[in-house]
Amino acid sequence: MKIKKRWVILFLLPGVLWFAFVYLFSIIQVGVTSLCEWRIAGEITFKGFDNYVQIFRSADFRRALLNNVIWIVLQSTVHVLFGVIFALIVSRGKRYSGFFRTVYMLPNIISSAALGMLFYNIFNPMYGPVNKLIQALGFKDFRANWYADTRLSFFAVTLTWLPFAAIVAILVIAELAAIPDSILEAAIVDGAGELALIWHIKLPLVRSAIGTGTILAATSMLQKLDILAMTSNGGPGNRTMNLPLLIYKTAFNTNNFGMANAQGVVLILVGLLSIGIINKVYRMNEPV
Amino acid sequence: MKIVKKVLSKLFIFLFLSAALLVTLGPFLWVFFASFQTNREILSFTLGFPSGLNIKNYAKALQIAPIAQYYHNSIIVTFFGIIFNLLIMSMAAYVLSRFQFKMQGLIRTMFSMGLLIPGAALLLPLYTSVSTVRLYDSVWGLIVVYVGFGIPTTLFILSSYYRTIPREMEESAYLDGAGFVRTYLYVILPLAKPAFATAGVMQFLLCWNEFQFALTLTTGHQSRTLPIALYYFQSAFASDYGAMFAAVVLVSLPSIIVYVILQKQVVSGLVAGAVKG
Repeated sequence: MKIKKRWVILFLLPGVLWFAFVYLFSIIQVGVTSLCEWRIAGEITFKGFDNYVQIFRSADFRRALLNNVIWIVLQSTVHVLFGVIFALIVSRGKRYSGFFRTVYMLPNIISSAALGMLFYNIFNPMYGPVNKLIQALGFKDFRANWYADTRLSFFAVTLTWLPFAAIVAILVIAELAAIPDSILEAAIVDGAGELALIWHIKLPLVRSAIGTGTILAATSMLQKLDILAMTSNGGPGNRTMNLPLLIYKTAFNTNNFGMANAQGVVLILVGLLSIGIINKVYRMNEPV
Repeated sequence: MKIVKKVLSKLFIFLFLSAALLVTLGPFLWVFFASFQTNREILSFTLGFPSGLNIKNYAKALQIAPIAQYYHNSIIVTFFGIIFNLLIMSMAAYVLSRFQFKMQGLIRTMFSMGLLIPGAALLLPLYTSVSTVRLYDSVWGLIVVYVGFGIPTTLFILSSYYRTIPREMEESAYLDGAGFVRTYLYVILPLAKPAFATAGVMQFLLCWNEFQFALTLTTGHQSRTLPIALYYFQSAFASDYGAMFAAVVLVSLPSIIVYVILQKQVVSGLVAGAVKG
């Protein structure tokens, strides 16, 4: 179709400008000032890779990075497994399927701040149902302060996202529904049992959906500032610190802008690296 | 042997679904019921139905924190966040999915790259950019940022829908003498309504739920949104559990209602937004 060039430009311009303001300028600023000395209300002066050397020397940063890596691994494996099992069960189209699909999605649909607040209360040492239930099971003196206890806080934080794999499940369910019945019927005629059907037919055919779900699950671990702010606030000490919360604290509590942006660059790289690895593992660029 | 297998698989499914139900619905039901209970009832953990429909907690929640004001801010941010996002991206997605021109691939790739950048890395740069254009502590600062964050998802949803519209629709409009803009407004847009619903719902969830930028880019009651209310009043609510639960319910309920009503759109939006990314 032949159209005037100016319409193309005019239609694209608002989106491109908006994108430039929100993303491009920001990324350039993060990259450039990560190499600079820059504190609030201070001059910006170039100092090479000093910020990077300093962040890797800091125990808080190393802990945040390690936590993030652990959470990414857990989310890409355990969480994805939950989602896939859920999808396989629910896609059998029983009467209860719709109900479970709706309910399983709830924690993913509300504000993470509200979810964090919910868990903060569930694990409350005084009135939280978790402690009450454990006491009711016979451990009468059980009084764990989950988010303030060094041994428990990591576990209690992880529980706010690990079981809720509805997004992985939705992607896999959509892909399972696209498998032609003829393939499944042929396998059944050949004598394939339920497990063989799942293992040899269904899972290989939904490989790229699982890969996509894994990428979403892994990268979601790079944005959990909200839940941490509402529950453990990265503590006790730096036990549950992650990169987003550390960036926030470095920028707005310590006011060391250059260093916060160096941490930001690391955060972006961790994201790209995770996506690259998952792409390789699930061979996402090859046809099924 | 076959029967044993069957029983085991039924048992596994039963246990798995029960656990899923317990961890997802359990917390919600507890907070919902507790939001109608008194402090004493909450402390003694009388699980289940409250002694009466005690809405005092809701009145108190509105008193402790200016939740009404935050509701108002959230509605404005969400409304304009959806409108501007759909407006700019419906135009961009149209030319990107319909016509061939230089830089087409480049611009498309650029937009999709947004999905690869974790938001927290942009906290500080957006704080300085938004301050520079004097939108710090204003609902408009949040609107600008949320419209930008919605660009990749909205682009994917709209352009995959535009591609399903047959070209003959436009060609016959051109033959009838309609110009480019007229064709877009009167032929394409009305046909793309379902895609706008999907993209709009996704953008609603983004704007209504977003926390970290609302925390960073606002400082006063006139611009803070609902998720931030929970953060700032966590300590103010500390001695009044019922009111705190009422606040959680007030913040979450709109998202849940929108999801339950528009479930189909949310699901197709998630699938469309993810597959291309």
